[in-house]
Amino acid sequence: MNVPRCIVAALMSCSFSAAAHAHIASSGFLVANVAGADVTGSIEIAVLDVELAVGVDANRDNQITWRELSDGAPQLARYLSEHLAFTAQDGGLGVACRLSFQAMQVNDRVDGSYAWLPFTAQCPLAVRDLGIDYSVMAGLDPSHRGLLTLTAGRVVQTAVLGGAAEHATFSVFAPSRWRAFVDYFHAGIWHIWSGIDHLLFLLSLLLPAVLLRNGGRWEPVPEARPALISIFKVVTAFTLAHSLTLTLAALDIVRLPSRLTESIIAASIIVAALNNIFPLVTESRARIAFAFGLLHGFGFASVLADMGLPHGARLISLLAFNVGIETGQMAVVLAVMPIIYALRAGAFYRRAVMPWGSAAIAALALVWLVQRAVLPG
Amino acid sequence: MRLREHISSVFPGRRRIRRRPFFTALLFALHVSTACATPYIPARDAQVLAELPAGARHAGAPSRQLTANRLDIALPLAQFYISRARATGDLRFLGYAEAVLAPWMSQPAVVPQVLVLHATILQSRHSFDASLIELDRALKMRPDDAQSWLTRATVLRVLGRYAEALTSCEHLAVAADPAIATLCRQSVLGLMGQLTSAYAAIAALSPKEMPPEARAWRYSELGEMAERLADDAAAEHWLREGLALAPQDFYMRLAYADLLLRQQRAAEALQLLAGYESMEPMLLRVAIAHRQLQDGASVQAEALLSSAFDVEQRRSDVVHRREQARFLLDVDQQPAAALAAAEENWKVQREPDDILILLRSAQAAHQAPAAAPALQFLQTTGLEDSRLAPYRDAT
Repeated sequence: MNVPRCIVAALMSCSFSAAAHAHIASSGFLVANVAGADVTGSIEIAVLDVELAVGVDANRDNQITWRELSDGAPQLARYLSEHLAFTAQDGGLGVACRLSFQAMQVNDRVDGSYAWLPFTAQCPLAVRDLGIDYSVMAGLDPSHRGLLTLTAGRVVQTAVLGGAAEHATFSVFAPSRWRAFVDYFHAGIWHIWSGIDHLLFLLSLLLPAVLLRNGGRWEPVPEARPALISIFKVVTAFTLAHSLTLTLAALDIVRLPSRLTESIIAASIIVAALNNIFPLVTESRARIAFAFGLLHGFGFASVLADMGLPHGARLISLLAFNVGIETGQMAVVLAVMPIIYALRAGAFYRRAVMPWGSAAIAALALVWLVQRAVLPG
Repeated sequence: MRLREHISSVFPGRRRIRRRPFFTALLFALHVSTACATPYIPARDAQVLAELPAGARHAGAPSRQLTANRLDIALPLAQFYISRARATGDLRFLGYAEAVLAPWMSQPAVVPQVLVLHATILQSRHSFDASLIELDRALKMRPDDAQSWLTRATVLRVLGRYAEALTSCEHLAVAADPAIATLCRQSVLGLMGQLTSAYAAIAALSPKEMPPEARAWRYSELGEMAERLADDAAAEHWLREGLALAPQDFYMRLAYADLLLRQQRAAEALQLLAGYESMEPMLLRVAIAHRQLQDGASVQAEALLSSAFDVEQRRSDVVHRREQARFLLDVDQQPAAALAAAEENWKVQREPDDILILLRSAQAAHQAPAAAPALQFLQTTGLEDSRLAPYRDAT
């Protein structure tokens, strides 16, 4: 990819010399920004189309000068107010917005010079759905189209106006950032509660937190403090790791194939569970939590990718999703911790829950691993 | 490859767009062009902003009334605009022609002449299927209209429907000059596995006995056939002869430019294209020529082309899809994007050049299966083209 050329090309595209033009079908460029009850923006019509529509070549020498064009500005504004209209739609009813044009300027585009007219349209009520009637060049050039760029808040929509459909309606209701936060927060919690694989991984790391490894045997912790510290370390490491990769993946900085991450997530559960039965790592389970947490982050990201991040509220939604995951996770930790702390001293916990519970988790994860890594699709 | 997002919502749905550098650059270009498209107030009152081409002057209500009421004025005016579009490549003229025909198109019983002109406009915009519908309507009313059959044959030929094109040529034999009928028939047969005999048959036609407009067509066919037969010297001879006769012939100039570029004769190609840069297909060849010369002068052509393709993309215009694919392949060097464009183009038209761009981009993108529809087409039709050989054998 020859990026420098593209950049040069892009930079040049704002000023085409008068000699170099390409031929494209007649197009108008309509830019509109909606804020509350006000629509502001600009409309650009090719100078050739201005001549066709209102006739500005006063001396009939087949050349349109700036003087001729600016003298024709009032006629053009009148023409445009007859062929461009905004309405604030409310239910089935449309209420007309009052359109006025400001001083004309010139803009050079790929196929020649354009008359550029800024406008404001004041609507009687806040715009939720914006109706646009566009019939510029109707009857003069049926192939004319208006290329619309509509911005509301941080949401940008584009559309093609004119032709057979002179009327179009656009929803400009921008989701509030608070609404986006709440939606994605819920999605985060729901994902951790319904995504049993992340919970089982966490559980595998939590089970031994209330025990100590001593001379090849599990012994209950004498007091709550070391257990709490151990759990705190594991949860923090897991959270840091998956937040990091979730952010990188959600912002499209890093991407892994989902089949690979899903398989490794399953493998991570097997490793964590087997480590409870045949302990290799007993002191620094936080490191396991961190290492595999990185991969779980990619798993969360694929959920988020399926949902998409809303325009204009990407970062806040990403944060909300992450906070939702943490909240869901903490709720599980708070529910499990007192139970395993109470059970830690009994033989049932050390002889049955630890080995057989972990074995069951490992077996389930093995099934997932086979499903995800080996089976097609 | 759609850069449009018509609807934005809280959950925009599954968005697994593979990030391609070209699109990143294009988005950047869009961003920059909107950000820096700075309107200005010209410094001088006398600064010329536009030169009006003939026929683009404001028409008052009375003259519009006239074309709406008098068919004998509307038809030649529409014809004039269509020929201006052909000669200049300026698509605006097609819109003007359409506007002249519009009042006549909305009448309950549309006159066949209006339908034929409308079909020609649609054909020029590469709306081939819509064009065929209009032609069939016209032919129902006037079954012996040579122009309708000829346009129909041309459209069907572009669509790769050769058997039907041949049938249209047969109808022409009854209604038109025998030389035109022969040209029509042999040019289609030349795509149906009979290239050598068709080439000989068209070469044997005496230009002196032909209507003038058919002479240029004969040279154009001979040039393209010779190229497909790998006789570049003969192809050059025919195309030069043809251009001497009809310098305004858009297709011959393009064909000759392509021949020169294929032979790495970029400087000569630039000479040939000088003065025609406002037409996108010509400008594309200019950009490729500058690339071949490595003179760094292609930047402006490339900027113009990518802006123009961008507007057409937004408008969903299909008329320059083939050029867009070739631009992505030969200038932008984006084989994957080129292949996507070539596949889109294949849905619109199936001329030898469309096969060529599809095979070339499939190979460049290492996507052999993508070439299958074109190879299948070659197999079914028996189409011969020496330029396709390297891609044909490779796959």
